Amino acid sequence: MSDLAWSMSSKVLAGILIYGGLGWVLDRWLGFDAIFLPVGVILGAAIALYLVFVRLDRSSSPEGRNR
Amino acid sequence: MAVDLAVPSFDPECHLGSGCGFPAPGADIFFFDPVWTFTILGIEFNITKQIILLVLVGAAVVGFFWYAFRRPALVPRGAQNVGEMGYLFIRDGIARDTIGKAGDRFVPLLFTAFFLVWPLNFLGILPFAQIPVTATFAIPVAFALVIYFTWVPLGIKRQGVGGFFKAMTMPPDVPKAMYVLLIPIEFVSNFLVRPFTHCVRLFANMFAGHLLIATFSVGAFYLLSASVLGIIGSTASFVVAVGMTAFEVLIQFLQAYVFTMLAAVYLNDAVHGH
Amino acid sequence: MSYLFAAAEESEGPNVLAVPLDELIIGILAFLIVFGLLAKVALPSIKKTLAERTDKIEGGLARAEQAQAEAQQVLAEYREKLAAAHLEAADIRTAAQAERVAIVDSARGEAQQAAVGVAERAQAQIAAETSQAKSALSREVGQLSFELAGKIVGESLADDARAKAVVDRFIAELEAAPAAAEGRA
Repeated sequence: MSDLAWSMSSKVLAGILIYGGLGWVLDRWLGFDAIFLPVGVILGAAIALYLVFVRLDRSSSPEGRNR
Repeated sequence: MAVDLAVPSFDPECHLGSGCGFPAPGADIFFFDPVWTFTILGIEFNITKQIILLVLVGAAVVGFFWYAFRRPALVPRGAQNVGEMGYLFIRDGIARDTIGKAGDRFVPLLFTAFFLVWPLNFLGILPFAQIPVTATFAIPVAFALVIYFTWVPLGIKRQGVGGFFKAMTMPPDVPKAMYVLLIPIEFVSNFLVRPFTHCVRLFANMFAGHLLIATFSVGAFYLLSASVLGIIGSTASFVVAVGMTAFEVLIQFLQAYVFTMLAAVYLNDAVHGH
Repeated sequence: MSYLFAAAEESEGPNVLAVPLDELIIGILAFLIVFGLLAKVALPSIKKTLAERTDKIEGGLARAEQAQAEAQQVLAEYREKLAAAHLEAADIRTAAQAERVAIVDSARGEAQQAAVGVAERAQAQIAAETSQAKSALSREVGQLSFELAGKIVGESLADDARAKAVVDRFIAELEAAPAAAEGRA
């Protein structure tokens, strides 16, 4: 549980970095200024939050983790 | 030597009204001229104030715990009592709490992390030292790397390459299609962002805290002048600096705890899976 | 200075995020040396001591528990034995009582039997003596009365038949007299 709180920020950061970066690359490639970059940032944060919820759901279920 | 250890760009004549602007302390207060420079294998070693303090703290920590635990008695007294409190804090409060019974193996590692980081943080408010060694980025980076290169190989050893990376990057009970989106995040988050935040969290806190205390201390000195505004401002700034220092004591402990706690969380991932 | 990764921008002041290789190496070495010394020299002894202490406390508890269990067992055994002894004593008492009753009964029976025997024998003897005395008395009385009659009559009662009849009548009268006396009484 506690480790999840710690990993939440790094997951959101990673999501924004990856999908924001992907958006930036798409923008460069397709010649846009900034269209896919913000989309990527928001998408990345959303996916990361989903991931946090998935992990949270598992670690807070009764059978939970093995410790 | 005396010049090397002093705060750079410090002018004792600079006060409010003396025609000199506020010498706001910047990043340069964290840099000291090396007292000794030598080269080994083409790498230039600069022994700065922080390096000397690091060595002294390391020696003091080893010395204290060696002394405290040299002839441990079943009924503890004096230094052993203090040392035991530290040991049990790491063993019960961090290792067993986070990793469980398997955490006992990692007590020495976590113990080292905590009892290096905490005193190194504490140096920020220790008179004459007055610099948190952990605010030198390379030092938290070095410690975080040791932790990183402990838990990642350990996880591979315990769970196998496939098992470990599956546990770290593939959360269960997720639609298969989602893995395409999730695995990159999990990989970057757990293997790249993690060591980065591990050391940056410690560094940034100590750096910012020290800079704040320095700013208010310099402010108290700068405002000290023969005027009502100067005396009130100087006193206020001094009070704030003292308050910040007291707060900093808490932050120093907390950041050392967080650094050690995170190390335990990573080790737990290696032992039990993410 | 050799940097692990170059400074992002060289503006005013040194870059705080730069990681000089020498500091990094010294940092890692310092951590590893402190870790090695603590793990090999300082911490094993305290780990052992703490384990011993835990062991002692837990061992003491276990021993106390064991002692209590033993005491409980001994108490139970004692109670069991006491109950058995009580039961046995009661059995013995019951048996003794029964035996006593039997002994008393048989003794009483024997005594009664003996008393009955004695009484019977005495009665038989009395009866025999009585009848003996009766017959002796009647014979004597007959003779006496015969002699008396002879003397009174002055002649010998030669006539036996007559004499016999007289005697018999006399005896019958004699026998009747006490019977009448008894009936009157």
